Amino acid sequence: MNTINDRIFGVLMIVLAVAYGWGASQFPEPFGGTEVVGPKTFPYLLAAVLGLSSLYMVVRPDPDNAWPWSRTGVELIIALVVLVLYAALLQPLGFIISTTLAVGTLCWRMGARPLNAFITGALAGVVVFFLFNFALDLSLPLGLLSFLEVG
Amino acid sequence: MEIFGYLIDGFGVALSPDNLMFALLGAFLGTLIGALPGLGPANGVAILIPLAFSLGLRPETALIMLTSVYAGAMYGGRISSILLNIPGDEPAMMTCLDGYPMAQKGKAAEALAISAIASFIGSLIATIGLILLAPILADFALTFGPAEYFALFMLAFATLGGITGKNPMKTVVAACLGLMISTMGIDSTGVQRYTFNVLELYEGVDFIIAIVGLFAISELLFFIEDRVGKGRKTIAVSKLKLSWADIRGILPSSLRGGVLGFIAGVLPGAGASLGSFISYTLEKKMVGKKGSFGEGDPRGVAAPEAGNNGASSGALVPMLTLGVPGSGTTAVLLALLISLNITPGPLMFTQHADIVWGVIAALLIGNFLLLLLNIPLVGIFVKLLSVPPMYLLPIVTMVAFVGIYSISNTTFDLYFMVAFGVAGYLLRKLEIPLVPVILGLLLGPEMEKNLRHAMDISDGDWMVLWSSGLSIGLWAFAIAGLILPYIVGPILRRRMALKSEVTGD
Repeated sequence: MNTINDRIFGVLMIVLAVAYGWGASQFPEPFGGTEVVGPKTFPYLLAAVLGLSSLYMVVRPDPDNAWPWSRTGVELIIALVVLVLYAALLQPLGFIISTTLAVGTLCWRMGARPLNAFITGALAGVVVFFLFNFALDLSLPLGLLSFLEVG
Repeated sequence: MEIFGYLIDGFGVALSPDNLMFALLGAFLGTLIGALPGLGPANGVAILIPLAFSLGLRPETALIMLTSVYAGAMYGGRISSILLNIPGDEPAMMTCLDGYPMAQKGKAAEALAISAIASFIGSLIATIGLILLAPILADFALTFGPAEYFALFMLAFATLGGITGKNPMKTVVAACLGLMISTMGIDSTGVQRYTFNVLELYEGVDFIIAIVGLFAISELLFFIEDRVGKGRKTIAVSKLKLSWADIRGILPSSLRGGVLGFIAGVLPGAGASLGSFISYTLEKKMVGKKGSFGEGDPRGVAAPEAGNNGASSGALVPMLTLGVPGSGTTAVLLALLISLNITPGPLMFTQHADIVWGVIAALLIGNFLLLLLNIPLVGIFVKLLSVPPMYLLPIVTMVAFVGIYSISNTTFDLYFMVAFGVAGYLLRKLEIPLVPVILGLLLGPEMEKNLRHAMDISDGDWMVLWSSGLSIGLWAFAIAGLILPYIVGPILRRRMALKSEVTGD
């Protein structure tokens, strides 16, 4: 039984606890002099508790869950790239086009036929766009399609 | 009685046409969310929060809608338990035991109807319990000082894993992570903490972004990993043949289940899963050999379903009166309250009486709406159950994006949400629970504030934190909450596992 995940995570968390505690020690004194409990006290407490509980994870780790290597791992990375691109292109491409591409790709990669996937994406994009901009009065960006804008 | 006056005012709020409409919408969406695989109640409520916000709903309307979603999700969870033998959410697990065998015998419609009625009874009992208990608890909580509150927050974290929790230390790690994120930003004395000079971080991390990322995005990643995009076959639902005698037969079970569930919901560390488990086990003991539990006994459907709905209304008691949620979904509702600038806790009952009682009245009304929705319209929900996740989850993700984007119209928040999603995925892989992270994010500022007040009063003497009988009691419970899972947990877990194996085929 492998227990390496918990151990690595525990070590990382101990590093985080130390860094976080060190960060707290760098805070400037608050304006108006020291208080009994200043901005540092609570972070110090947290750093201590996190350090101790992570140490427990290193010493008494649980068995690992398998990581998805190979194909599934690639699919996960594709999904993440899609999400990041969706965020990045939402404004420049506009909501409808970026949604068609993002939802379409996700559906397709999850097993839908490409045509169905992109039709779903386009429908979802158009429906939500109209719902937001007309029924709910919230403006989503039109982007490339802004020439269609009325008035 | 004073309570009745408030309740009538509450009905005044809840029955206004737009509130009623949003309650109905919430109940419908909630049932959908509960029924659809891969959309748990916490997840569902979370992605709707930013929408409620950007729509500019009034606080009471937003809260009424989302409490209806919450109540609806508890109803919806049973549908996939019965038809697919997959619980729509964790508390609906026990409903599988007798619900699925009933469906296999061609009594799917009856099982769905019985469980809807039992859900209704369980919720009704628990809402009445809430009405009676909440004001008393709120009055009592007025005597809490900062030291007691600090201890209460500790109790909330310690019992969050529940006594069936696997590894309480992981709950502690998770809570610390949440609390640490909550310290980011400019603190009350004007000092910048962990902002790294990034302008977007000056006001701290918006917990709504964190919640949606942790739940919705990580769920998408999990579905991709599990490769269950195609969905599963459901059992066909026949025509409903239900007589009064059938309903009378499950009444006692539902009543008992509702009461037990309510108690489990109010108590810290128990929650809806344990509520339905206790109800089922006790019902089996009560009925004894005369029942056919595990083979499709209607009482075995009614008891856990009443218990689970009772517990979910019961869980609102600590959330509303103390500001301390006991479950993931109530934590998400707390997030809504905080972002509406309403400080939950005892003062809410005096300062925002209209909202509190409006929500309670809405729960009562919503419960009737849900019963009405769930008996004749069950066919629609059953159809939606066969929507394959490969279409559903991308659309849910899109709704999450739209919601977060509409709060501030910045791309930065979207990147942040995706980052939280990845973090949520990694934490879940390591079996580190996400709910304590969220609770830490939500309660962090209050916790630090109370610590500061307590220390200011005592002039720096740490002993003040456990100086009163009440705070000692709370600390004792908190410590018990961390230690008990090591002793009781394995036994209870084994029993619950054994139960589900018996019927799992």
